[in-house]
Amino acid sequence: MHDMNEQKRLFRMIQQVSFVLYETALYLDTHPHCRPALAYFNKYNARRRELMEKYESKYGPLTMYGQNCSSDHWQWVETPWPWEYDCQ
Amino acid sequence: MWIYERKLQYPVKIKNPNPLYAKIIISQLGGPDGELAASTRYLSQRFSMPYREVSGILTDIGTEELAHVEMVSAILYQLTRNLCEEEIKKSGFDTYFVDHTAGVYPIAASGVPFDAKYIGVKGDVLADLNEDLAAEQKARVTYDNLLRLIDDRDVCEPLSFLRERELVHYQRFGDALRIAQDRMDSQNFYGWNPAFDRKPDSRK
Repeated sequence: MHDMNEQKRLFRMIQQVSFVLYETALYLDTHPHCRPALAYFNKYNARRRELMEKYESKYGPLTMYGQNCSSDHWQWVETPWPWEYDCQ
Repeated sequence: MWIYERKLQYPVKIKNPNPLYAKIIISQLGGPDGELAASTRYLSQRFSMPYREVSGILTDIGTEELAHVEMVSAILYQLTRNLCEEEIKKSGFDTYFVDHTAGVYPIAASGVPFDAKYIGVKGDVLADLNEDLAAEQKARVTYDNLLRLIDDRDVCEPLSFLRERELVHYQRFGDALRIAQDRMDSQNFYGWNPAFDRKPDSRK
């Protein structure tokens, strides 16, 4: 149960950091020379890489190129899809 | 190409199914100002845009709209799970159910299926960007109308998130229009179309 909560907490953090990055990327598209925005993007992009690494090594891939933790089965089709009620 | 990330952009977790809500929210999937129209519009317009920043914003907002197609679809899926025949008849969901069961199919709330007529790709910088600005406002109004009709926190939260994204996209398309106009002939924006015509002075 504790592990489940940890998984949800990590997943939520990835969702939040990804949103921060996407919002900043849209801003940078039309303000490509804005240094503070660029620094902000880089900071959270490093954070996202850490979180993704941590999540995928424990709970399976979030993208097809992510980490498959098992050598004998394809985890991609085993974990819940994001639209399922129990996934969030 | 695109890579799928198995997460929604914003969580959707709806405790109580409600097919009547699904019947109106479906307009933001397959209606005239819905998310499918938005993603198709921007991802199609970007090819003829002559300015890299503008192609960039069309690519990235168009991609975010695909995530919104997924969020609206997740809302519809969760609102129509575990339905009984009685609920289907009573809610008026029967007119959708008879053709699509509880599958997710892009139509407007009025029942009209999705149509490419909902989008414009004029191949002209000013015409396309002004269409995009209007499209974001029309989508915002549709979310406003849905939020007037829906009384369930689990449903209103993701809808409010999506409504806010329309406002941000409107800002970014405004920036894109400014960038385009800065690069065009300020004495005559309409003298030529930089998406098609070469610069007048470079023409042989």
